[in-house]
Amino acid sequence: MATNSDLQALSSAMAAAVQSAGASVVTIDARQRYPASGVVIAPGLVLTASHVVQEDDIKVSLPDGEELSATLLGRDPNSDLALLKLSTLKGSAAATNENPQIGQLALALGRPTAEGVQASLGIVSSIGGPVRSHHGGLLDSYLRTDAIPYPGFSGGPLVDAEGSVLGINTSGLGMGASLTIPAKLAWKIAKSLEEHGSVKRGYLGVRSQLVELAEDARKALKREQESGLLIMSVEKSSPASAAGLIVGDVIVGFAGQLVTDHDELLLQLNSGVVNKSIDLEVLRGGKPESLKVTIGEQEEPAHEHRSHRHGRRQWGWGWRR
Amino acid sequence: MALPINFASAVSAAKPSLVAVFAKRYGAGAGILWSADGLVLTNRHVLSSHHPKVLLADERQLGAEVVATDEEIDLALLRVNARDLPAIQIGDSTQLRIGELVFTLGHPWGQRNSASFGIISQLGNAQTRGRRGLIPIIRTDARLAPGNSGGPLLNASGEVVGINTMIVGGNQGIAIPSAVAVDFVEQVKSKISVAN
Repeated sequence: MATNSDLQALSSAMAAAVQSAGASVVTIDARQRYPASGVVIAPGLVLTASHVVQEDDIKVSLPDGEELSATLLGRDPNSDLALLKLSTLKGSAAATNENPQIGQLALALGRPTAEGVQASLGIVSSIGGPVRSHHGGLLDSYLRTDAIPYPGFSGGPLVDAEGSVLGINTSGLGMGASLTIPAKLAWKIAKSLEEHGSVKRGYLGVRSQLVELAEDARKALKREQESGLLIMSVEKSSPASAAGLIVGDVIVGFAGQLVTDHDELLLQLNSGVVNKSIDLEVLRGGKPESLKVTIGEQEEPAHEHRSHRHGRRQWGWGWRR
Repeated sequence: MALPINFASAVSAAKPSLVAVFAKRYGAGAGILWSADGLVLTNRHVLSSHHPKVLLADERQLGAEVVATDEEIDLALLRVNARDLPAIQIGDSTQLRIGELVFTLGHPWGQRNSASFGIISQLGNAQTRGRRGLIPIIRTDARLAPGNSGGPLLNASGEVVGINTMIVGGNQGIAIPSAVAVDFVEQVKSKISVAN
């Protein structure tokens, strides 16, 4: 039979995890009456939630209580992440765990006030994605946890039992509950924000509709692909028009990958193809053709808090996988 | 780990020390057998009459006398006329760390002898309107409900480290640290011995 000491060991391990991870969790004061948290990813660099950064005057308090001013390096409304640069190269960087597993113990951490770090316990409940965010973009992956997201936890980490960061918690994506941007994706976005101030997403310049492929078309493709994207309009002076795409073409492949729905296409456009020339496979008049397209860059929405309804109307809404 | 972790061990050690306190027309609070000679600790807000009844874990129901109450820390000390009671193990709340596993025992929504678990979410302070001004409090994510008031917050060893006292924001439990409870009981005891 298991002894009490196993339980005590687990208890101490979790306290140690909170202590070690908590050393990288900071307080963000950048939105009125909206305390929030952030995670130090390198000395002087803090990753937090985009929706908690609304003022130009950004203050970051380190675990030792020291308050520093910070500047916004960039934000990605699509994943609700923002990267801040501290006035000095302070803070200890968090360790990451890029292999979350459903069911593993997880601690949500936050430091909304000077009273210190706060924590709640749960497990990794689900690993999902890609999913449409309300900005019309595609969030590649996300985690959900049953650990309670206390007020001010947005921008703080979800950590494993060793204190390594599984992801960044946010309540700002408006998907009914708090969710967690996985560490692998969040750190990748942070790098992009540090280098470019934004996340580069590919732009093609078409509106399309999901269509079922006719028997003949499938035969012509010589593969069991059941759907593609019928082009309804081509924007002027877009990469699509430059490449000669026309209304009526059906996109079935992108850079060698099958395109069977809108999410597939968005996922491909998100995969670092800006300014690259790729092969777009289309059905034109029922026959497969390959077109070279130089992918452009999607401009971020002019304002982060554009209406959710707009996003819905344009893209549809729901848990598309 | 070679053996599965036995979560029941912490709760089973403390379970005989959990009592129910009936002092209102409806519902019951929880209480803790603080000493083998009949001292029962509970929340002040659980009491409304001066003649509460205490239901022990062994189903004995005893009339209790209110020895002392302290509104500011929401604690009350009762005495029942019994000996050799299974007193709870008292832990040191000053050694608590955020992230530590904790268990609660109580009677949420009247469900007797019910347990929940979580962790220490934060160790903070709360402003009071009394002479102390500021008292330490424990915040926990362990689920609490009406009926948990006055019951123990236990550490992984099954020692009481807090008295479950209130719920804030719908999902955060607040417990009065055991160190505050120990001080309260000691002060009451010394007053009694002076009076005698």
